[in-house]
Amino acid sequence: MVEIFINDSAIKVKEGTTVLKAAEKAGIHIPHICFHDAFPPEGSCRMCLVEIEGHPCLELACSTQVREGMKVYTETENVRDARKGVLEFILAEHPMDCPICDKAGECTLQDYYEQYGLFESDFLEEKERKDKKVDIGKGLILDRERCVLCTRCVRFLRDITKTGELGVFERGVRSEIGIFGDQYIDNNYAGNLVELCPVGAITDKDFRFKTRNWFLKKGASVCPLCSRGCQIFIEYHPGFARFKVPKRVYRISSRVTSRDQSQKEKGYWICDIGRYGYSYMDKDRAENIILKQKNRPAERGEAEAFLGEKIKKLIYRNKLQRMGVVLNTWLTNEELFLARKIFTLDLELEKVFFTELDTGEKDDLLLTADRTPNKKGAEEIGFEINQIEKQKLFDETELLIVFWSSPFGLGSITELLPELSKVRTKILFTPFKRKWNDAFDLVIPTLVSAEKGGSFTNIDGKVQHFDAVLSPPGEARAEWEWLVSLGKEIEVDFNSYLGMKFPYDVYKKMKDKIEFFR
Amino acid sequence: MIEALIKFLCAIVWFLLLSLYLTWAERKESAVMQDRVGANRANFFGFRILGLFQPLADAIKMMTKEDFTPAFSKRFLHNLAPFLSFFFVAVTISTIPFGSHLMIGGKEFRLQVIDLNVGILFVLALLALSIYGVILSGWVSNNRWTLLGGLRGSAQLISYEVALGLSLIGIIMVFPSLKFSEIVGFQSELLFGWLPKWGVFLQPLGLIIFLMAAMAESERVPFDLPEGESEIVGFFTEYGGLKYGLYMFTDFMKVLIIACLLTTLFFGGYHVPWLYADGFHFPWGGDWLLPHGIVVLFQVIMFNLKVFFFCWLQILIRWTYPRFRYDQLMDFGWKFLIPLSLFNIAATAVLMSL
Amino acid sequence: MFRLFGYFFEIIRGSVITARHFIVNLFFHTLNLFGIKTKRKGAFTIQYPEQKSEIAERHRSLHRLMKRENGKPRCVACMLCQTVCPSECIYIEAAEDPDPEIQKYPSTFLIDISRCCFCGFCVEACPEDAIRMDTGEVELAQYNKDDLMLDLDFLLS
Ligand code: SF4
Ligand code: SF4
Ligand code: SF4
Ligand code: SF4
Ligand code: FES
Repeated sequence: MVEIFINDSAIKVKEGTTVLKAAEKAGIHIPHICFHDAFPPEGSCRMCLVEIEGHPCLELACSTQVREGMKVYTETENVRDARKGVLEFILAEHPMDCPICDKAGECTLQDYYEQYGLFESDFLEEKERKDKKVDIGKGLILDRERCVLCTRCVRFLRDITKTGELGVFERGVRSEIGIFGDQYIDNNYAGNLVELCPVGAITDKDFRFKTRNWFLKKGASVCPLCSRGCQIFIEYHPGFARFKVPKRVYRISSRVTSRDQSQKEKGYWICDIGRYGYSYMDKDRAENIILKQKNRPAERGEAEAFLGEKIKKLIYRNKLQRMGVVLNTWLTNEELFLARKIFTLDLELEKVFFTELDTGEKDDLLLTADRTPNKKGAEEIGFEINQIEKQKLFDETELLIVFWSSPFGLGSITELLPELSKVRTKILFTPFKRKWNDAFDLVIPTLVSAEKGGSFTNIDGKVQHFDAVLSPPGEARAEWEWLVSLGKEIEVDFNSYLGMKFPYDVYKKMKDKIEFFR
Repeated sequence: MIEALIKFLCAIVWFLLLSLYLTWAERKESAVMQDRVGANRANFFGFRILGLFQPLADAIKMMTKEDFTPAFSKRFLHNLAPFLSFFFVAVTISTIPFGSHLMIGGKEFRLQVIDLNVGILFVLALLALSIYGVILSGWVSNNRWTLLGGLRGSAQLISYEVALGLSLIGIIMVFPSLKFSEIVGFQSELLFGWLPKWGVFLQPLGLIIFLMAAMAESERVPFDLPEGESEIVGFFTEYGGLKYGLYMFTDFMKVLIIACLLTTLFFGGYHVPWLYADGFHFPWGGDWLLPHGIVVLFQVIMFNLKVFFFCWLQILIRWTYPRFRYDQLMDFGWKFLIPLSLFNIAATAVLMSL
Repeated sequence: MFRLFGYFFEIIRGSVITARHFIVNLFFHTLNLFGIKTKRKGAFTIQYPEQKSEIAERHRSLHRLMKRENGKPRCVACMLCQTVCPSECIYIEAAEDPDPEIQKYPSTFLIDISRCCFCGFCVEACPEDAIRMDTGEVELAQYNKDDLMLDLDFLLS
C-alpha cells in the first residue's frame, strides 16, 4: 500500500495502481478517452493529463503508476489548458455530426467538450473529408471522420476476441481504422465495439437511426439467452403522449458490475446473441387469457377457478397419477421452487418433466452451450432435468400442464403436439402467441424475464436477482403469480402461499428450505 | 279573474323580454366600458342592428344543445332545480306596481297584478325560496364541487337574506305599510314643500345596505361565490343547454327585480316628481295640466326609466369590482351589513320619536 | 373607521372611472353611428374576419419544413425538435439516406398541431434551419381533429 495525495487529499492504494484508477477510487474523475478498464493503458489520446509535483511537464494519468507520497493535481490552470488544447486538436478534424450521430447524448467527446472545452475553435482550415460509411461487417458501420483513433476497437479485437480484424492503417494525419481487405469482422462479440467506441465512429444497423438514446430508459436485468446470465441493461422507450412508438425495447447494453480481477475480461462484454436477440420481447406476445370453451378472452379469476377445479377433481377422485406437468429451465428460481412445491411436494406427482434444453455452440469467452438461463437453478431446487418420456407422460393422462417459455425453437413441443389430443384437459402457460396455442384448452399468458422480477442461477452457480423492467402486456402475469394463486386454489397447503406478494417473498422461503440459496 | 290574468301576462312578458335584452345590455355595456364593441355578429338577413339579435341567437343555441343529465343523478330533480329558481323569481313581478290607475270607460284598472297587503314579505319570501333551486341543483348533480357550490350559495343567500330583510324595516317604519301601492303612495308626498318624499332621502343608509344585500342575492360578480367560475365550484357546473340557460336567465331576472324593488321602495316607484293625477304642480308655482292618459303614460315611462338606470348601475358594479373571498363575503354580511342595518333601525326609531 | 372610509372612497372612485369610460365611449359610438367621423374611436376592436391585424415580423405561425435544392427535405431527422418540444407534439421516424453525406432523413414527420403551443422551440433547436414557423398561417381551426395531424408532405409544401 502506498499513500498518495490527489488534490491534497490523501488516499491509500495498492502498489502498481495507475494515477487514474487511484483518483477514481478517491472519487475524482480524470477525463480519459483511450483508456478502458479492460485493457492495459495505451496513451494515445492525451486527454488524461495531470500535474504531478516535481515533474517538469504534465503526465498521463492512465499510464503513470503511483509512488509513495506522490502529489497529484487534477484541476490546476495548466491541466485545464492542456485538456482544452487536446480537445481542440481532436475536434479540429471532427465532423461535429452530433445531430445525426447515434452516440450523441452518451458521447465521451461531447461530454468532455461540455465540461472542459467550451472554446471557440482557432482552426480556419477546412476539415479533412474521410469515408463516412464504411461497412466493416456484422452490421457495423465505421465513420472515419468521427473516429478519434483511440484504438479501443483494435485492442478489443486483438486482446479479447483474439480475432484482430481491425487495424490502424496509414500514418500521421492520414491514419485510419480499417479492416484487412475483405476480411469483415465476424465474431460473436462485435456488438461490443459500438459500446466500447468512446465516440460515434462505430454504429450498428440494429440501432442506427431508430431513435435517440435520450428517449430511452435503462433497466437492469439479466440476459436469459444462455446459462452465463450476463448482466445487462434493457433500454426501452417509455413512449410518447400522442404517438405510438413501434417497439418497446431498442437495444441491450452490457452492465458492468463485477470489477474483480477474475472476471476482468468477461465482466464488460456481452455476446451478440444477447445483444441483438431482444425482439422476442415485443413480437407475438400473448396478451389475453384464452379459455377455449368460452371462446372469448377470459378473466383472471375464471382461469384460476378452471385450473383449480380440474386439479381438485383429480384429488377427490384420487387419480393424481393422471396428471402431468412439463416445466422448463426458462423459469426463475422462485417459479421453479413454487412449481416443485406444488407439483412434487403438495400433489406428489410423478410425471414432472422438462422440455428439451435449447442448445447451441459454446465459445471460449462467455457464450455457453446451454441456451437457457436456469438449468443450474432447477437442479439446485431438486429437479432432475429429465427428457420427456412420452410413453409415461401420455399414459392415461387427463390433465396436462405445460410451461413453454422459450422464445426460440420448436424443441420438444412439436413432439408433444400429435399426442395432445389424447389428453382431456391441456393447459399452457406461455408468454408467446404460437400456432400450437390453439391445441390447448386454456392458454395463460405469462411474462418474459424482462417483465418480471426473480433470480436465475447461472452456470457458475451464481444467483443473480433482477427486477421487472418493462410493464406486462395486457392480461399477462408472471408465472410465479399464477403459481402462488394455483397453490392457494388447490388447498393442499394453503398457508404456505400466504404473504407471497413479491418474488423476494418466495426467495426468502427458498433460503430457509434450500441450503444452496442461503 | 280575467283582468288579473291579462295583467299578469303583460307583466311577465315585460319581465321576460327585458331580462332577455338585459343579457344584450350587459354585453354591450361591459364592452363599451372596456373600450370594446361587444356582440355585434348575430344577424338577420344581413341586418345586424348593434347585435340586437344576439339574445335570440343565444336562446336558439341553448335550446338546441344536448339536454344532459350526469350519471347517477336523479333526472326529475335535476330537471326540476332550474325551474324552481326560475319560477320563484318570475312570480315576484306580480306585486310590483307599474303605475297608478288607468281609467277605461269609467272602470278603474290598477297597474299592478296583485296588491298584496304583505307585498314586501311576499317578495322576500319568494326570493328566499329560490335558494332551493340552488341547493337542489348542487346536490342532485352528484358532483362534490357542485355540492360545495350549492352549499356556499345557500349559506350566502341565507346570510344576506337577513341583512336584506333588516334593511327594509327602516322603510316599513317610515312608510307604515307592507303594501307596495301604499308605500309608493306615501312617496308621492313632498318634504319641506319641494323635495319628493322618496325613500332614498329618508333612508339613505337603508338604501346602501339594501343595494349591497340585494346584489349579493343576485349572485353576480362581486358576490358570485356560488357560481365560482374561476374555480369551477359552482352549483350549475353539471348543467348545460337550456337548463343552464335558465339559471343564467334567473340571474338577470333577479337583477331586474332588484331594480324594480329599488325603484319602488327607495325612488318613488312610478312617481314623476310633482306630477299629480291632474298634471304637474311645480313647487315654485306654475301648473301644467295633462289629461289622464298622458299622466299614466308618464308614470309608466318614469318607472321604466328608473328600472333601466338601476339595471345599468348593477351591471356597472358587476364589471368594475373583483370578487370577494368566501370568508370576506361572510364577514361582510354578518359583521358589517347586519350590525349596520340594526343601527339603521335604531337610528330611524330615535329620529322618528323626536 | 378611517380605513373603512378609504375603502368606500376607492370603491366609488372605481365606479366613477368605469362609468366615465362608459359615457365617453358611448358618446363616440353614438357619433360614429350617425356617420360623424371622429379622430377618436369608441373601441379599439379589430373586426376580425373582415379586418385583419398585421402579423408581426417575428411572429410564429404554422410550421413548414425547408427543402434542399434537389427538393428533398433539409431535415436530417436529428429529432432535436422532437426532444425540445414541450408539448410532445412532434414525432419523427428516421431512415437511412443513400447519400453518405446526408445519412439520415425523416421517413415520417408528424406534427400534432392540436397539441402545439407555438412556443417556437423547435425552430430554435433545429441545427439545419429545416423547420420554420413563418408561413403566416394562423387560422388553423378544423372540423376534424385528425386534420390537425400534419404529415411530411403537407409540411414540405
Ligand atoms: S462522436 Fe460525439 S462529438 Fe462526434 S459527432 Fe458523434 S456525438 Fe458528436
Ligand atoms: S473507431 Fe472508435 S474505438 Fe475505434 S479507434 Fe476510432 S474512436 Fe476508437
Ligand atoms: S412550436 Fe413548440 S409546441 Fe409547437 S411543435 Fe414547436 S416546439 Fe413543439
Ligand atoms: S431539428 Fe430540424 S433537422 Fe432535426 S429533426 Fe427537427 S426539423 Fe429535422
Ligand atoms: S486516457 Fe490517457 S492517454 Fe488516453
